[in-house]
Amino acid sequence: MTTADLLLQQLINGLSLGAMYSLLALGFTLVYGILELINFAHFNVFMVGSFIAMWTLQMFGLTGQDVVMTGLPLIGVLLVTFAVTMTGSGVLGVVIERVSLRPLRNVKGPAAMITTIGVSYILFNLILLGVGADSKNFPNPLPQAELHFGDAVLRLREVLIWIVASVLMVGLWLFVQKSKMGKAMRATAQDPEAARMMGVVVDRVIVMAFFLGSALAGAGGLIFGLYYNFTSFIIGFTAGLRAFTAAVLGGIGNIPGAMAGGIIIGLIETMGGQFISTAWTDVIIFSILVLVLVFRPAGLFGRLAPSKS
Amino acid sequence: MITRRTAAKAAMGAAAAVALGVEVTPAQAADKEVTVAINLSLTGADAESALRIRNGALMAIDDANEKGAIKGYKIDVMLLDDGTATAGQYDPAQAATNARKMASDKSVVAAIGPQMSGAGKAMAPILSQADLAIITPSSTNPDITNPKFAEQYRPAGKAIYFRTVTTDAFQGPNMANYFAETLKVKSVYVLDDSGAYGVGLADAFQGQADKKGIKIAGRDRLDPKAADYTTVLTKIKSIGPDALYYGGVLQAGVKLVKQAYDIVPKMIKSGGDGLYGPEMLTAAGFPAADGWYATNASPHMVEDSKLDGWMKAFSTKFGMQADDYTITAYDGASVIIDAIKRVAASGKPVTRSNVRDAIQSTKLDTLQGPVSFDANGDLVSKVVSIFQVRHDTAYPADDMIHQFKYIGVAPEA
Amino acid sequence: MSGAATTFSILLRPFARIAPLHRRRAGLLAITVAALAFPLLHDNDADIDAAANALAYATLALGLNIVVGFAGLLDLGYAAFFAIGAYAYGIATSFQVMPDWSPFWEPFAWLGLVAHVPGSGGPDQVHFTVSFWIMMPVSAVLAAGFGILFGAPTLRLKGDYLAIVTLGFGEIVPIVVRNWDSLTNGAMGLNGIAAPRLFGYRFGIDAEPYYYVAVGLVALLIFISTRLRDSRIGRAWMAIREDEIAAGAMGVNLVRLKLLAFAIGAGFAGMTGTFYVAKLQTATPEMFGFPVSVMILVMVVLGGIGSIWGVVVGAVLLQLLQSWFLQDLTQWIHALGRLIGMPLLLRIDLVQSIELIFGIILVVMMLYRREGLIPATRRAPALTFDQQHAEVRRGSTIALQGLGEGAKSPHPALEVRGVTVKFGGLTALKSVDITVPAGGVVAVIGPNGSGKSTLFNTITGLTHADAGRVKLYGTDILGLPPHEILALGAARTFQNIRLFPNLTVLENVLVGQHSRLRTGVLGAILHLPRTKAEEKRALEWVMEIVAVFGNRLMPRLNQTVNGLSYANRRRVEIARALASRPKLLLLDEPTAGMNPAETLELAEQIKGLHALGLTILLIEHKLDVVTNLADTVVVLDHGEKLTEGRPEVVRQNEDVITAYLGRNTAAGSAAFV
Repeated sequence: MTTADLLLQQLINGLSLGAMYSLLALGFTLVYGILELINFAHFNVFMVGSFIAMWTLQMFGLTGQDVVMTGLPLIGVLLVTFAVTMTGSGVLGVVIERVSLRPLRNVKGPAAMITTIGVSYILFNLILLGVGADSKNFPNPLPQAELHFGDAVLRLREVLIWIVASVLMVGLWLFVQKSKMGKAMRATAQDPEAARMMGVVVDRVIVMAFFLGSALAGAGGLIFGLYYNFTSFIIGFTAGLRAFTAAVLGGIGNIPGAMAGGIIIGLIETMGGQFISTAWTDVIIFSILVLVLVFRPAGLFGRLAPSKS
Repeated sequence: MITRRTAAKAAMGAAAAVALGVEVTPAQAADKEVTVAINLSLTGADAESALRIRNGALMAIDDANEKGAIKGYKIDVMLLDDGTATAGQYDPAQAATNARKMASDKSVVAAIGPQMSGAGKAMAPILSQADLAIITPSSTNPDITNPKFAEQYRPAGKAIYFRTVTTDAFQGPNMANYFAETLKVKSVYVLDDSGAYGVGLADAFQGQADKKGIKIAGRDRLDPKAADYTTVLTKIKSIGPDALYYGGVLQAGVKLVKQAYDIVPKMIKSGGDGLYGPEMLTAAGFPAADGWYATNASPHMVEDSKLDGWMKAFSTKFGMQADDYTITAYDGASVIIDAIKRVAASGKPVTRSNVRDAIQSTKLDTLQGPVSFDANGDLVSKVVSIFQVRHDTAYPADDMIHQFKYIGVAPEA
Repeated sequence: MSGAATTFSILLRPFARIAPLHRRRAGLLAITVAALAFPLLHDNDADIDAAANALAYATLALGLNIVVGFAGLLDLGYAAFFAIGAYAYGIATSFQVMPDWSPFWEPFAWLGLVAHVPGSGGPDQVHFTVSFWIMMPVSAVLAAGFGILFGAPTLRLKGDYLAIVTLGFGEIVPIVVRNWDSLTNGAMGLNGIAAPRLFGYRFGIDAEPYYYVAVGLVALLIFISTRLRDSRIGRAWMAIREDEIAAGAMGVNLVRLKLLAFAIGAGFAGMTGTFYVAKLQTATPEMFGFPVSVMILVMVVLGGIGSIWGVVVGAVLLQLLQSWFLQDLTQWIHALGRLIGMPLLLRIDLVQSIELIFGIILVVMMLYRREGLIPATRRAPALTFDQQHAEVRRGSTIALQGLGEGAKSPHPALEVRGVTVKFGGLTALKSVDITVPAGGVVAVIGPNGSGKSTLFNTITGLTHADAGRVKLYGTDILGLPPHEILALGAARTFQNIRLFPNLTVLENVLVGQHSRLRTGVLGAILHLPRTKAEEKRALEWVMEIVAVFGNRLMPRLNQTVNGLSYANRRRVEIARALASRPKLLLLDEPTAGMNPAETLELAEQIKGLHALGLTILLIEHKLDVVTNLADTVVVLDHGEKLTEGRPEVVRQNEDVITAYLGRNTAAGSAAFV
């Protein structure tokens, strides 16, 4: 394989990984922007979303990669699955906020973050105890179409990921910029008190942020399953830390920043693994996290909201 | 011969026992009880295979108890779990605690396990000081019985870690021999899953492959918690070796198998006994798993027609299919039962020291063939079996016997 | 009171008669005897082993308690230090690292630190045989060193970012261990780690000697924790935890103390790592992952964040839960399931669900009992009716000698020259000049948003200035960190009262003395005579200050401040500032929110302080207070100094009136007369 082809292939790999990290980072950054809370549970909402997607596809009678669909039935199945998964994950996020975070909203200190760690553990272990530790075969009706550029291969599902991730991200961006609720969210992120005084129902804004963020995470989980053809209880953990780094790198609270950060981290993962070694990928990414936080906490694109004192 | 006196005595004994509410079978009212401990990783990633091993051992012990194989003795089972949810797999500290539990209970005369070598490393020194023998049906790391490390693993001197499987000192290298001699592989890329077992196996394979003249195209490490191995697989694809060898268990293995199918479908691919499990078929699935080689550190007996009856009895009793490590567990338990029998027959007291000595001198015909141990506790037979996954649509997808085709015995050096 | 509670309290009555101090001592004695006698009474090796493990986790919880509980730094990667201590001992005693022998090693061999091993078919080698007892403190220091290494660049990050970064370190350390094969034998783990030796007696595999070492370790660390908590250092940590900004403004060197907490916590973990691995005689990277860090956090949360005995109880409880109770409890649930015919119950295995239980504990504790099972702060008994409604009596300020030293200085107390502060596009202060003469009282007034608080923040180092100079008694202070400015003699209060909510009145005020005391870690732990004398003097000084406010604060010395009235909280804040023996006192709207009587009282007290010679700069809205107290009034508007002069002159100034009331109210001057 020529170097050019190799680079192209790793670029394709990196962009696909990056798209997934971006989706996760987006949901995370939405909540942080408004609440200034690191939501550990977010990454296990992603994992649960992946299982919701798997069960939905199984309800269509799909198991494994044997059954291939095309055309309208395929689009129909995918649309329904996306809808169910995103709604389910969104609702899960809202429930988490209502039950475990709202009572702690005015409590200073690490109490809220500790609670999200607890919720994260609960989700993780419920799935583990419920379905077992082994990886599950993810139903995938996508046909195996691929395009060759020399020795590099571009698969249909990679294109699908890029399209879906872009649509979702642009959709979110438009929503936050143009809609009334989006404006309310931006206002609350800058100054909750002032927003409240302007008639914004802050509680509702927070619920919306959690719903949207968790729905995006759920979509990420579905995409994950379609891309790797498997899911398991542990996928939240590594993806979570990488997505968090992506959000910080892009500038926490900053939506385009999260998108950019995700892509960058995805590329670092593939290029680092190619030219250094996969054994050190985690160390590289964590080092980036530490370096960004220490030397440029605003990330690449700065923050929308000033820090709370 | 049963005289009237004996019959009367037995009847009175039975009546008394029934009156006291104790379950009694005739002629066994005065059975002494000895305990055999079973220590496996029943919690965490290896729980599935732990059950198959446990049931294999229980099959032998229940059989012995029912048939009264050891005159005057009944075997109690102490089941211990060295896995913890926190570790997500075996936990060396828990294994050490379990070893202490076994050691402090004087009625324990022998043990079966552990399942994973990492647990074995923590347990061996404690068991050595307690002079308590343990027979493992699946732990393959060679260090524990290596005389070079005797001071660390058996400080009291005598061998206490016995195996009814061979070690990775043979499992990896014998596969390398197969690669070189039969598959005519010229270059190989080696991967491990960063775990104790996987790294050891990959190292052993790599060392022998090198000696056999196979070019080592590279060596990399997979993170079992990560999902994405496309980076390293793309790297491998660009280097273009003939084959890929994976040392590790199925947690990373399943993902590797799936993604390798997309990226390097034509390469020769193999793993060790870590890949030899039903999840290879159910989670990795077809067509991804097709063509992968796997090995087992024991002879392949489950398809042997001699064992048909046994296999059926097992699946009836436990509702699951046996695999090769079920057999080695059964055999390990059989060795213990045989040892206790010999000690009792010789008139010596059934203590753990005597049982250990008896185990050391075992010469027993078992399901996997003749079993005896060398001075270090290793199985004398060094048979490593090779399998290849070949999808057989006539049988269900998770049927290990029919989806893993038995190729043969791996060539020894 | 319910019947059961009444019975219980009747049973405890004889004990209630014993003084609390003796009660505590008796309790301590009972626990010590029980701990020492345990292996003799219960001769089960496995159980003693489990108990030793539980105690090891208790020391880990104690260490994390210092970081999270005392200093309020959420560390999610604590297991990294556990790993460092473990591998340090492992490498120092196993057969992993064996350099070639050379004469360089002779003195070490003579000391018994290494052994000369004849090579088998190669050169002779060095086998490290460092003693367990030496490695314990060495590992502690090594881990503490890593704590400083990790902490130095990161401890100034905000709380949640710090948590993530520490999580990162917690992940990186096992990965490095796993990849650095030559040093650590990688994934296969270190083996042949030597058991400890005590005067020739080798520990072997019996759990008893390890158990006793663990008891000793726990006792030592409880002792150290308690001494630290009740010292100047502990107070400073808790101040940081409660309100970092106020702590800095009261003289606490934030960076140094955070690093200290981090390092000491790491040291505890390092020591425990050595012990744990010496007992297990093996070390693998899997033993030190994120789930272990979380488990220790759960122990701390369950037991009580900041509570020393609480976290010990939490650790022991959780460990025993895992090894003893959960299996029995599971059987019980299965039996119950069979009894009532609910097959779902038969599927529950509590042992496997321990991680789920951890998650539930975290959520439930945070929602319903944040202080833990054994809270760190015990509620002081509420005041009696009489005490609450006592006639107000207060002392005078004459007793506070020494506060007026600054008045004798040849330099003006404060010189602000050309200070400009910009926040992005907004100019909060524009080239402001203010002089506060030594021994004088200057009031700063102006409408809301004129920059008054920004001025205070700039003077006291909380806000960065873009231009200008500030001199305190002739010394340049612009750009210095808040704690240094406090040390130089400028103490302040805050507009919206920043006290340390969960500390008592006494503790709050004592924090003010932080920069004037010199006790360090060693002094705190050993109770050196100099430390005791220092604390005594500090306490006396603080009591004098509190006495100024009479029986408003005196009866409430041991109450936590979050239960006090607004006016009392303000008084505590002023007392705290005075505790630092300031030469310049900056009061930001001290009488805000007080009724006229309280305002009058406080104004009198401020006047008394001024009479002693203390220089005061205050921001005030109540113009009668300003007129009463101030020699000079400075008026700020939109970040610029509008005018300055004597109070009577300023209040009639046209521009000032316009600034306050708007352009069309020239007639509004009547309001000021």
